[in-house]
Amino acid sequence: MHYIEVEKLAFHYQDEPVLENISFEVDPEDFVMLTGENGAAKTTLLRNILGLLKPSKGSVRLSPKNRLGEKLVVGYVSQQIASFNTGFPSTVLELVQSGRYQRGKWFKRLDKDDKEHVRRSLESVGMWEMRNKKIGELSGGQKQRIAIARVCAADPDLFILDEPTTGMDVQSREEFYKLLRHNSMEHGKGILMVTHDHEEIRHYASKHIELVRKEDSPWRCFSMDSCKELSKPHS
Amino acid sequence: MEMFFYGFMQRAFQASFLISLIAPILGLFLILRRQSLMADTLSHISLAGVALGLLIGVNPTWTNLLVVIVIATLLEYLRQIYRTYSEISIAILMSAGMSLALVLMGINDGGATLSMTQFLFGSIVTINEQQVWLLFVLTAIIGLLYLVFRKPMYVLTFDEETAFTAGLPIKMMSILFNILTGVTIAVIMPIVGALLVSAIIILPAAISLRLSKSFNGVILIGIVIALLGMLSGLAISYEIGTPPGATITLILMIIFAAISLIKYSLRHIQLERLYKKSDAS
Repeated sequence: MHYIEVEKLAFHYQDEPVLENISFEVDPEDFVMLTGENGAAKTTLLRNILGLLKPSKGSVRLSPKNRLGEKLVVGYVSQQIASFNTGFPSTVLELVQSGRYQRGKWFKRLDKDDKEHVRRSLESVGMWEMRNKKIGELSGGQKQRIAIARVCAADPDLFILDEPTTGMDVQSREEFYKLLRHNSMEHGKGILMVTHDHEEIRHYASKHIELVRKEDSPWRCFSMDSCKELSKPHS
Repeated sequence: MEMFFYGFMQRAFQASFLISLIAPILGLFLILRRQSLMADTLSHISLAGVALGLLIGVNPTWTNLLVVIVIATLLEYLRQIYRTYSEISIAILMSAGMSLALVLMGINDGGATLSMTQFLFGSIVTINEQQVWLLFVLTAIIGLLYLVFRKPMYVLTFDEETAFTAGLPIKMMSILFNILTGVTIAVIMPIVGALLVSAIIILPAAISLRLSKSFNGVILIGIVIALLGMLSGLAISYEIGTPPGATITLILMIIFAAISLIKYSLRHIQLERLYKKSDAS
C-alpha cells in the first residue's frame, strides 16, 4: 500500500514545462527527502501531490485510508506557513489546538486525549512555556516551531513538509530529524520532506529523491534508491 | 430622552444594537482574509441593486439582495484569478457597481434621485418594521453560524492551504462567507448609507484586534466597541442633526485614536520603568 503514488507526472505553468516524467511512491514507514537546486520546482511538486495544483499529465494518488483502514490524515507545513499575518488574534495554544480539529473535532469539544497531544507537541518543540503568548509576538524561528507543533498535534499518517527546518540551528534540526525518524519507524508514519541540508539528514532519511535537469528542459526525477524510471532525454 | 418616544428612533436603536452584534464578527474575518475593502465594493454593488429596483418598480430590498448575492459569488472567482492581487477584483467591481448605479439612476431620472441620496448617506427615518425584523433574523443566523463554524473558519483564515489539506471545502466556505457579507451589507446599507457601511463593519473589529489576543476576545470587545459607537453616535446625530452613519463612523474613529494613544503611552511608560530598573541595578 502506498500513501503517495506519483506516476509519470508532468506539470506546466502556462506553456512552460517545469516538471516531467516524475514517478515515485511514499509508503508508511518511509522517511523520504526531496532535494534539488533552487528553482527545481520542489514546492510545485508538493502542491501537485496535495491537490493544490493539477498535474498536466500523469497522476498523483493519495491513499484514502491509512494502514489501519481509517481515513488518511495529512499534515502539511508549507514554506511560508511561518510568515502568517502578525495581527492574527490567536494564542500559541489555540493555534496548536487547531491542529486537532481535523481529527473529527470541527464541531466537537477537544477532549483529554486531544489536549495531551497538544501538550506533548508543544513540549517537543520547546514551546510549552510560551503557550499563552500571542502568535504575532513570536520570532521567526518560534513561529516555525509552533507550525511544526501544530502539525504534530494533528498526529497525521502522512507528513508533507516544505523546508520545515529553515532558520533552525544545527542542534534543533538534528532533534527534529530524530523526532521524524521516530515517527516513521515506531509509528509507521509516511514522511515526504523538501530540504536543503543533505549531509545531516542522510543518516535519518530512508529514501532520497532528487530533482535534476538537463540544460533547458524540465525538472525530472532522479533518485538514489527510489525513482523507478530515469528520464529519457528531452525531445 | 424625547428621542425614545419616536417610533423611528426606537427602530433606529434596535437596528443599531443588532448591527453592533454582527459587524465585529464579519469585520474580523474580512480583515484577516485581507478583504476589508470587499465590504466597500459590495456596498457600491448594492447601490446598483437598489437603483435597479427603483427603475423597474420592484421593492429595492429584493433586487438589492439578488444583485449582491450574484456579485459576492463572482468575487470569489475573481479572487482566484488574481490570487496575488486580490484587491484588483475589488477595484474592478467597485467601479462597476458605482457606474451601474449612476447609469440606472440616469435612465430613471426624476423622483428616484431623492431616495437614492437616502441610500448613499443612509437615513434613520427610512427604517421600517420589516427591516428591523430582517436584521434580527440575519443577526440570529450569523450568530449561530459563528458558533457552529468557528473552528473551520479559524483554520480557513489562518491559512487556506492548510485548511484545504485538512479537508475543508475552502471554495464553498469562501463563497458562502462572501454571500453572507453581501446579504448583511444589503440589509444594513439603507440604514447607515452605502458610503459608510464598510467603516461600520470594519472599524470595531480593527480596533479590538489591538486589544485581545484571541478570536473570541476580539469579537466580544468588538461588540462592546460597536455598541458604544453606534448607540452614542445615533443619539448625538439626533441631538445635533448630523447624518447618523457619518456620526457613528467619526465616533469609532475617535475611539480608535484614543486607544492607539493609550496603548502608545502605556508602552512608553513600561519602557521607561524598564530603563530605570536597569539603570538602578
